[in-house]
Amino acid sequence: MSPRRAATGGLLDRTRTVRFTFDGQTYDGHPGDTLASALLANGVTLVGRSFKYHRPRGVFTAGIDEPNALVTVLKEGVREPNIPATRIELHDGLRAESQNRFPSLDYDFGALNQLGGRLIGAGFYYKTFMGPVIGPLKGTRFWMLCERFIRRAAGLGRADYGKDPSRYERMNAFCDVLVVGGGLAGLMAAEAAAKAGKRVILAEQEPAVGGFARWSGETIGGKPASVFAEQLAERLAGLDTVRLLSRTTVWGYYDGNTLAATERVCDHLAKAPKGNPRQRHWTIRAGKVVLAAGALERPIVFPGNDRPGVMLAGAVRRYATEHAVLPGDRTVLFTNNDSAYEAAVAIRRAGGHVTAIVDVRPSISEAAAALASEAGVVPLTGQAVVGTSGGKRLAGVTVQRFDAATGALSGDARPIECDSLAVSSGWQPVIHLASQAGGKAHWDEALQAFLPPQPGRSWTGAGAFMGRMTTAEALASGRDAGLDAAGKKPSRAKLPEVAPQPLDIAPAPVFEIKAKGKAFVDLQHDVTADDVRLAHREGFVSVEHLKRYTTLGMATDQGKSSNVPGLAIMAEARGIAIPEAGTTRFRPPFSPVAIGSIAAERYGDLRPDRLTPMHDWHVENGAAMTPAGLWHRPLVYAAPGETVEQAYIREAAAVRRSVGIVDVSTLGKIAVKGPDAAEFLDRVYTNTFSTLPVGKARYGLMLREDGIAFDDGTTWRLGENDFLMTTTTANAGPVMQHLEYFLDVIWPDLRVHLTSVTDAWAGAAIAGPNARKVLEKCVAGTAVDNEALPFMGIVEGAIGGAPVMICRLSFSGELAYEVYSGAGHGLHVWEALMEAGEEFAITPYGMEALGALRIEKGHVTGAEIDGRTTARDLYLDWMLSKKKPFVGSALMDRPALIDQNRIRLVGVVSLDGRPLGGGAHIVEKGSLDDLGQSIGHITAFCYSPELSKYIGLALVRGGKARHGTRAFVSDPLRKRFGPVEIVSHHFFDPEGRRMHG
Amino acid sequence: MLISCPHCGPRDLAEFSYQGDATRIRPDPASTDAKAWYGYVYARPNPAGRHREFWQHAGGCRAHLLVVRDTLTHEIYEVTFARPLPGTGETA
Amino acid sequence: MVERATPLGTDFRPGSYGDIAGGVGVTLSAPPTGTIVEATAWPGRDKALATALGKAAGLTLQPAPGSGAFKEGKAAAFVIGPGRFLVSGKDEALSGRLTQAVDPQTGTATDLSHGRTALRIEGPAAEWVLAKLFALDFSQAAFPVSAGRATAHHDVFAQIQRTGESRFDLYVFRSLARAFSGVLRHAAEEAGYTIR
Repeated sequence: MSPRRAATGGLLDRTRTVRFTFDGQTYDGHPGDTLASALLANGVTLVGRSFKYHRPRGVFTAGIDEPNALVTVLKEGVREPNIPATRIELHDGLRAESQNRFPSLDYDFGALNQLGGRLIGAGFYYKTFMGPVIGPLKGTRFWMLCERFIRRAAGLGRADYGKDPSRYERMNAFCDVLVVGGGLAGLMAAEAAAKAGKRVILAEQEPAVGGFARWSGETIGGKPASVFAEQLAERLAGLDTVRLLSRTTVWGYYDGNTLAATERVCDHLAKAPKGNPRQRHWTIRAGKVVLAAGALERPIVFPGNDRPGVMLAGAVRRYATEHAVLPGDRTVLFTNNDSAYEAAVAIRRAGGHVTAIVDVRPSISEAAAALASEAGVVPLTGQAVVGTSGGKRLAGVTVQRFDAATGALSGDARPIECDSLAVSSGWQPVIHLASQAGGKAHWDEALQAFLPPQPGRSWTGAGAFMGRMTTAEALASGRDAGLDAAGKKPSRAKLPEVAPQPLDIAPAPVFEIKAKGKAFVDLQHDVTADDVRLAHREGFVSVEHLKRYTTLGMATDQGKSSNVPGLAIMAEARGIAIPEAGTTRFRPPFSPVAIGSIAAERYGDLRPDRLTPMHDWHVENGAAMTPAGLWHRPLVYAAPGETVEQAYIREAAAVRRSVGIVDVSTLGKIAVKGPDAAEFLDRVYTNTFSTLPVGKARYGLMLREDGIAFDDGTTWRLGENDFLMTTTTANAGPVMQHLEYFLDVIWPDLRVHLTSVTDAWAGAAIAGPNARKVLEKCVAGTAVDNEALPFMGIVEGAIGGAPVMICRLSFSGELAYEVYSGAGHGLHVWEALMEAGEEFAITPYGMEALGALRIEKGHVTGAEIDGRTTARDLYLDWMLSKKKPFVGSALMDRPALIDQNRIRLVGVVSLDGRPLGGGAHIVEKGSLDDLGQSIGHITAFCYSPELSKYIGLALVRGGKARHGTRAFVSDPLRKRFGPVEIVSHHFFDPEGRRMHG
Repeated sequence: MLISCPHCGPRDLAEFSYQGDATRIRPDPASTDAKAWYGYVYARPNPAGRHREFWQHAGGCRAHLLVVRDTLTHEIYEVTFARPLPGTGETA
Repeated sequence: MVERATPLGTDFRPGSYGDIAGGVGVTLSAPPTGTIVEATAWPGRDKALATALGKAAGLTLQPAPGSGAFKEGKAAAFVIGPGRFLVSGKDEALSGRLTQAVDPQTGTATDLSHGRTALRIEGPAAEWVLAKLFALDFSQAAFPVSAGRATAHHDVFAQIQRTGESRFDLYVFRSLARAFSGVLRHAAEEAGYTIR
């Protein structure tokens, strides 16, 4: 039998026992327990050490607002830190550890920090960062020295460095009405909206709906409130227009009524079923939102208020009623409002003993007095708790006379022995989501709390969230909010009676008892009332500054229990009213969210693999694949024992000697069709396409509007009004978008349609002196001789029975053809070409050889068309038509863009026989001590099998004017320095005899 | 943020690409007025408040849209096709 | 006639996968689509294009945004953009009939039979699985049978037609079809799925 579990009562399944471990020790609990309730039931009161001072801490709340009882959960080899024990559902095999203690929770060296408390008060980090001077160590350097130790000492749980193996998923949902909060108000709202024909999602962060009704002990329409809530939830679950999401926290409210929520799908299970996510990230687009997020209780700030055994009164009530767990043998209550009296009764009903009720108010209502008498205690009115005693658990409190109007203490301090203390300073509506949605919270004097801004078009509110604190109000406002969200008028139908009559829970405006000792405002970040006053003295008086200077409210609980008391203390220090001190705007997330759940299905390599039709062939034939954007392309087809360099040199040499084949399916391809297609191309290309005959291709260059080179490629005229444009692999998307923009926005009168056909065609380029012979062997239905298929000509035929389109164009400077077939036939055609090429030892080549061949030829690619170069920089002036305007023509001749001294395209030859490096600088001076200024950089390099030298392309100041001169390559990152000669970028066959042959 | 595409209906921001300020006017293609071109290519008003912008529904129907949006609140007042509808000379 | 290779790879093979303890949530398949054609009308000619395409494919087509039609096992078509249709069919010869049916005064047609890959998802969890990947309302009220949508999952454009109460046909770029089918299979594991 658990030491603090009542023999009967609670919403537990007592027929089953759940076994779990905490810090290695095994305990029992029941389904329906949280880790916190089960630990309390087992008499475990010390569950953690505090952030800065390593003070012993116990369970403080019963929900999401828990600042103290943070634990690390160990599951399937992963440690997840900083999870409030109050929201961990007990399940078999649960393993949890306490945090921030060394070597153990009971004996913690870090607790020595308490002695040096004054050294690490508010602003500690700022002050240290700015830096005292200690010998040579000042400012940042001092900080760097200290940081190692501070990081170890301060902090919460330890994160795992390993990969998170959990599965996360994303879900998109749409509804007419999203109800946030599954308490009575939320349930009523959901039912009303559903009955009005709306599609409803109701999200409740706890495992069960009902909220306060689960532990209020009230009756509704003669039924226990928890039963009333359960039956209402069952009715809702039966409607197919309603989706009930439990264990789901709505934590972000974004533009367009888009809300973010996390559903903890499998966290409460020992093991997730196959394929089921641990957590699911919901993106919910709602027509209207009903916020029924309830309210959270606030503590009173007084010295020693953090000792294990001190809890919120509402939490005590909940544990006693829902979990049949008593906080201790002798409980004292300390309050400024009536709601604590209900906790006293709950303790009594669960068989516990209430030692005293200390109430700061001089007098109390009759209803409260009646509850006190039911709890068997006479309230000590006009008094306050001014201190606590005990070590790792509360042993007693000290009480003194207190004037609620002035805050003055008088008379003798009197000790009361007790092992638990329940405190309350009233309730604060959970206005976070409304604040995120925009609009300012406003202060309610009666409730001493911030109420949400006025509901607007996008959301409405209900229940305690709106400051309607009683159960009867929750039912009525919930129903009306649901009707309102459904576009209906409020209902006048009678609602079931709630018993007993509610208390007046308006609190006395008392948030702090000023007495000697550390009084904690923010328990999680160890921020004391004195820290807040220190911030005030040092000038950090605005709420935002207070927060950053003291870190008040910046811990994982985001100050759910500390914001209002902290604000009250600052307001008092400034001598202003609380609403004048203001409140911060809340931002997402409402409660901590696992990053994995936001990444969801996007894990590992974030990009989808884009594969050509011949991909599997490449892999099977030994290609090392390399990414090119999303695409995967062969780098080299290395033979066993070959290095990448050896492989590409072999491949490139084979092209020059006989014939090679390369997969060019990745080139962007856009069908440009319509009566104005030729006119359109004339406008977007620098050169002219309207004069291109049908059946011919032409190389084209595009500029951006600012005159900088954008993309190049060949465009084929397949019919009078039918062009096939090719783009570079990398720019296929941007070129498509560029063209669509001009057609949609600038020239809507042009009759041109664009379709991306990149994926429709497989492309194989065959290049080399024997390329034609290969085609002659396998192409049917057309001749491929120089007559039928001249340079830049296009023919249609078939290879191996598959239709193909062949264009004679060359990137390598060799006699070369691009063979296009339907993508589904790509592999078939590729294999037919390989077979036909067998007698010529046709060699598949990859990106490295392709690069080497084009560098030898001086062809530019994205490395040179880099978004900074102009056509003239690349010696493509000949492509700039003077007969027509085109995109970029107006700005391309600005003085700075035609300056002869710009960096322009040249070739470079390594003079020391060593390789060059991409991005390496070119400098004029030959001394490592004095390099002078960079005059350019290398854009591409290779070993040229044709020249038997390391060569490269470079962009160098002055370009052509430097041909025949000597310079140096400077590449300090790769420790490479040496002489180069600057030459023409046409290294090989400048007259183009080979490709025209 | 949601943008109501006149063709596809309300869609998530992730489906759209920002395509720039819609208040600028492209000079006549043959114009050599450097100032006008400078204004078109570089000058942006960047107002705090209501702004006219082009967005392309790239992950949807591919149409370019004219979106009137508040740059402070992200509220969208109006979305039409950027391309004028046939015959009317006006946007839909 | 040379048979067309599928881009889906060896991982997309018949069998049962994922959490099938509670039954099969969805069935995935790659329906044979010999023809996929994209056709676009000139401004004001969308009605004429719908009629021409419908006649060639044996469907009754409307140019309204999101609308579509299909004939089981024969042909399907839906609007994917202003004046723009995606028409598909089992028969390879349909492509020629469609491109011929679009006269230059009406619009243009482009064959994408090789360029797009069709994937079918069918079963009680189809809406649930697709909602993981696309920010679309898949409920029948918002997305009725025969309607179509153009959308995207990150880098993957997808055009989707509902061809049954719990059946959807997705058209994706061929080069991304293998990667996307992997994403789809992953998303379907929770529901339990079979590949046919």
